[in-house]
Amino acid sequence: MSDFDAIDALLAAVGPQAELPPPEVRRELRERARLSKAQVARTLGVSPSTVGAWESGRDPAEEIRAKYAYLLDGLAAKFTTGTAQEATPAEDAEDGDEDEARGETGDEAGDEVESLATAEPCVLCGSPARHRVAGFAQHLDPADCRPVVAAPPITTQPTAAQATTTSPGTRPSRGPAKRAFQEQSGPGDLIGRTVRAALAEHRGDVDAALAALLKRAIPDAMRLLDETRKGARYDIVAHPWIPDVLRKQTSRGADQIWEARPKWTRRELPPGRHEVTALDINGAYLSALKTHLPLGQLEHTTGFAHDRRRAGVHLITPPAWEHGAVLPNPIGNRDEPGPLWVTEPTLRLLLRLSGPKHALCAPPEIHESYTSGATENLLEKFRVALKDARDTAIAEDDEVTLEYVKAMYSKFVSTMGESNYNRELYRPDWMHIIRSQAFSNLWMKALKAHDEGLTVVRAMGTDELHVIGDWHRVFTEGRGVTEVKTKDIYTAGTKDTDDTDDTEDLPGEEE
Amino acid sequence: MPERTIDFGKFGARGIKGSEAVARKLDYLADGIVTPVTVKRGLMARLHYLTRTDHSRKAARDAGLTVTDRTLKAWLDEKRRPSNANLERIDAAYRRVRRRNVARHLLRRLNAGGGTRVEIHPLNQSQVPRPLQRVVEYRTMNVRRWDRIVEAWASGDQQGLDDAWEDVIVDLGSQWGQYEYVTNIGFAA
Repeated sequence: MSDFDAIDALLAAVGPQAELPPPEVRRELRERARLSKAQVARTLGVSPSTVGAWESGRDPAEEIRAKYAYLLDGLAAKFTTGTAQEATPAEDAEDGDEDEARGETGDEAGDEVESLATAEPCVLCGSPARHRVAGFAQHLDPADCRPVVAAPPITTQPTAAQATTTSPGTRPSRGPAKRAFQEQSGPGDLIGRTVRAALAEHRGDVDAALAALLKRAIPDAMRLLDETRKGARYDIVAHPWIPDVLRKQTSRGADQIWEARPKWTRRELPPGRHEVTALDINGAYLSALKTHLPLGQLEHTTGFAHDRRRAGVHLITPPAWEHGAVLPNPIGNRDEPGPLWVTEPTLRLLLRLSGPKHALCAPPEIHESYTSGATENLLEKFRVALKDARDTAIAEDDEVTLEYVKAMYSKFVSTMGESNYNRELYRPDWMHIIRSQAFSNLWMKALKAHDEGLTVVRAMGTDELHVIGDWHRVFTEGRGVTEVKTKDIYTAGTKDTDDTDDTEDLPGEEE
Repeated sequence: MPERTIDFGKFGARGIKGSEAVARKLDYLADGIVTPVTVKRGLMARLHYLTRTDHSRKAARDAGLTVTDRTLKAWLDEKRRPSNANLERIDAAYRRVRRRNVARHLLRRLNAGGGTRVEIHPLNQSQVPRPLQRVVEYRTMNVRRWDRIVEAWASGDQQGLDDAWEDVIVDLGSQWGQYEYVTNIGFAA
């Protein structure tokens, strides 16, 4: 008799298998619930890698399968009720699509509506739906139908997915397909996602979310860097041997590199009263990420001419500068004479100015160099990702993202040397080179203003340029990285009536 | 090729033992007092570190600072100044105690998240005659278990560290012998 009991048990076990949503949805559900693979695995009594395998296509066996289906079912139910409540504000963006979709499916809606035990992704919006109409899982009530990401500001992904899934007769395919135009590889919307997650975590409390974001700006920047370097040609060498000139002499001291920070105010203004405009260069360090960065370990050379394919630091004797009355010295205001260690952007600026086009000074004399093969593209994707996020944030007046992006790039630059706040990257050479590039960019802007007939009054720090004259025909005003913004307008100079001893001092540095 | 370098630098190659570079990096990550012991500030900082609690006093004694409490008190009150031999002993004891204190924390960070990525920068061949130079590339590898390395480093066991590190770089493949001596080894924790 016991034999038949065993057979009965076996027959009972053979019954219909629990339905599971497709693998991508399993993963999405788990991630939206902020559960780790390990948590799920512990609950189900399997290993985390097994959960990973289920989420990438394998199916669990019967008993575990039932448990897993129960878990996913519960998660899906949680999210459908959760989304129905908050669906109303996010809806209006999708009005057009929905009307169209209703028109398409409306005629068949009457005949075959089946309800699903396990939620499947809606063909219209992608979030789990519990009904299937004419073979397509979808929401019956358009109010339930909402985009996957609420009001996506930066993403291109959800709109592309919607465009493909709304076309009639295609299954919602998410995997890589043989399409002529594929999504560009890259970090995608890492920044936008992080900001949205932080805002959701702090329930819309902007200040708290921003504080949390600023705190994690450095690790996030490193993560973004890793994402942007996927499949790239060059590896980031994070801990090379560093020559002594780049080492700090004491723990709080400086190394021997001269970054050529401009700090220049015109000695005397042309006679008369003038309206001076203080211009501010937007995102100076962000633009400076595009520079020739040495890839590997710096190698020592002496007395050779400059090699354009290499970058690093150089010991040079700078040329004499005779235009101090109208333009700042390209090596900044250095008090001591004699040779000094400069970085690649400063050297390239000097070489450019000594060339036949400008012929402003003699060429610098290079004594020794620590260089390595260089590329301008090392941080390019990283820079573009940050710039795009910044542009979108400006367009949408999104202060949180703007501040977060700013913290990311500025802290990334300032901690990429010997900083205890970022031990993942130990490249003091890059830090100096990027800063010098920002200074060099400012210098070139000063030269441009001078060449266009403006009077340059002051060039200071990374982003401050004071000019006299109609600067609108030289620079465009705005908040983009190629544009400038006005910081201050003030008058200075001697009065026309009594032109002696009445020179007003220029105001001190703002902010 | 020989797996162990027999006479390093015979043809002008320059570099340091890989294990020594690892020890330097770990010391950098351990991040202790940088002022030398010969300066009063450095001496007092070390003495305070070694005598703050009974536990640290015991650790200092175990690390080789075998002077009486009376002497220690006199040093701390600046009534006497340690002799040069004792200065060296203080420095050595400080280094060992510091390493031992930091080791546990450091080990956890190095082992976390599937190990730590290590960059191996090959030896410097610029002084080697051209025909004898070989292509030795920059390599990276992931080191999953740091237990033996950190333990040997914390106990000041140079030979043990060397052995532990060699077991790691064997994973580089058949050319691991070229990486016995390096210019630098980089990792973060």
